[in-house]
Amino acid sequence: MSGGLILMAVLAGAANWAFRALPTILMRREARPGGLAARFLAATGPAAMATLFVAALLPELAPAPKAPVPLLAGLAATVLAFLPRRSVVAATLSGALAYGLAFAVMSAG
Amino acid sequence: MTTSRPAFRAGLFAALPIVLGYAPIAFSFGVAATRAGLTGAEAVMLSVVIYAGASQFLALALVTSGAPALVAAFTLIAMNVRHVLYGPALMRQAGSGASRRHAWAWAWGLTDEVFGQALGALARGQRFSESYMFGLGLAAYMAWIGGTAAGAWAGGGALDRWPAVSAGLGFMLTALFLALLLSVLSRATLRPVAVAALACTAGSLALSPAWGILAGMLGGALAGLLRR
Repeated sequence: MSGGLILMAVLAGAANWAFRALPTILMRREARPGGLAARFLAATGPAAMATLFVAALLPELAPAPKAPVPLLAGLAATVLAFLPRRSVVAATLSGALAYGLAFAVMSAG
Repeated sequence: MTTSRPAFRAGLFAALPIVLGYAPIAFSFGVAATRAGLTGAEAVMLSVVIYAGASQFLALALVTSGAPALVAAFTLIAMNVRHVLYGPALMRQAGSGASRRHAWAWAWGLTDEVFGQALGALARGQRFSESYMFGLGLAAYMAWIGGTAAGAWAGGGALDRWPAVSAGLGFMLTALFLALLLSVLSRATLRPVAVAALACTAGSLALSPAWGILAGMLGGALAGLLRR
């Protein structure tokens, strides 16, 4: 195994651990409710989810839509499956299943 | 703190969509790594030690381009700075009584998807539990490592005969992020969500996907500072 590869992996992995764990461990007190830090942190989660969803969606749409029908089917199935019980598991699996089925139908047609 | 087997098992179950999303991507990474000239052991080592999807694919590009190890490492490190916000944001949602005694261990698994799933669970009223975090993180981590090993072992073309399965699996993370977004969506979060989506789109189209992600997260979080 290459020494350079191990060095790169260990440095990147150590930084990943530090980014993920240290802010939680070193957080000594709660942000004051309604304060700047609290509002910033409260918005971080929704902002991260919106960003990651858009980042995952964009390659499907730009520069040209790759598979619009499966995409619409997948997105619609995800939303519809989420609504009744707010289950992330059911929504994700339904979305992927609908996308795959629509892809198969479009490929066959 | 809730330290219980049911909470751990609940975490394992809640990780199911992450596991199904990670496995094919990690599989692709294993295939790409062996195609790039790495051994199966080296591919798995990268997944065990780095454990960050986009960074690992970038690592392959850097390694094959002959970039020095230190330059490659710092490039990978810069890609994951966004993770510094996840722990504090999660603990804020968990409330003041939430234990973080074992955070040094479970926080290693705080990837984008694990963070989103945990935050969504708290938003739906679930109590914070370190056992749940261990279950959630462990299942996702094992799926990532197992997928990499399977991909390195199988080599390219394993899913070529099943294009619809491949397409469905490829959509899994998009569906997961949408479901996670829905789980934290409320009137109070609409502004950060809208700003993040717009900033990510603009940054991705004008500069690059990496800049788009940074712009979206920072823009959305900063939008939360504005008072209604």
